[in-house]
Amino acid sequence: MLTLHTTDGGTWFKPGELVEGRASWHLEEETEAVEVRLFWYTSGKGSQDVGIVRVLRTDSPDTSGHRDFSIRVPEGPYSFSGKLITLAWAIEIVALPSGETERLDLRIGPQPVEVDLT
Amino acid sequence: MSQVAVARHRPADNPFASHRVEGLSFRHEGATPHDLCQRLQRLGGRAAIIGPEGSGKTTLLEELALVVPGDPVRMRIGGGCHHPWRTALAQLPKPVTANHVVLVDGAEQLGPLGWRLLLLTSRPAQCLVATLHRPGLLPTLIECHTNHGLLCDLVSELVPADEKALSPGLEELFERHHGNIRLCFRDLYDVYAGRTGLYPR
Repeated sequence: MLTLHTTDGGTWFKPGELVEGRASWHLEEETEAVEVRLFWYTSGKGSQDVGIVRVLRTDSPDTSGHRDFSIRVPEGPYSFSGKLITLAWAIEIVALPSGETERLDLRIGPQPVEVDLT
Repeated sequence: MSQVAVARHRPADNPFASHRVEGLSFRHEGATPHDLCQRLQRLGGRAAIIGPEGSGKTTLLEELALVVPGDPVRMRIGGGCHHPWRTALAQLPKPVTANHVVLVDGAEQLGPLGWRLLLLTSRPAQCLVATLHRPGLLPTLIECHTNHGLLCDLVSELVPADEKALSPGLEELFERHHGNIRLCFRDLYDVYAGRTGLYPR
């Protein structure tokens, strides 16, 4: 089982702020690595794009453990929705090589709502 | 004019967004992916998935990648490349080994010379499967077809609650796009984006 939460439970971060929290794992068998990733991705009418901002990798972790993370949010892109795509941010914990994942959706921008470009 | 009233969706929540559409599974009629793997072996490890655009060739190729024995090498040859064969060869591992299974999407973009280069370079691979619009370059593994019923089935999976509202118009949509289900989904995306009715005229 994988869990992920920010320190105060918040999911809105302004550019330049720190995303801080804890990623925990309780795995049934030994795994090669656990990664915590901050990234953005697009979805909508066209093909998807993904930008990985930071990866924190823990090699050969115990089957149960946790990692505190502190990652600075870049200046952009902001979370937004237009007519054709939505750009969303998330932080995720991934067990490798199984690919088991837990994701926490984030909102990045000057306001707590995603920018509406429609 | 027939219109289907649906709530406007943001792109990420649109039921016809690419990530939703790409999550649909290929509708097999009889032959499972494992059956196709066995057939591929009987054909000597070189075969083609044949079908027109928007008939599910890419989806099936992706499903085969999950079940073929060996190390799948996915190659996508897009239109618009100046030298598609260079794009293709750049995606091949170096060296190609007997453990590799080369899966080529859009092989018709290569042209005769590029195709021969690909065959030559990928010769050590245990298998080569290509998607093509017409038969002839490789033995046919399977031919993909679409029909109105298939479109209805896929739409009902994506928007089960709206199936009844949409279904009267799907036949016309299917005909308008000559059976290209990908293009049908693009129109339906616009419907759910609040940009058009189902039958803009």
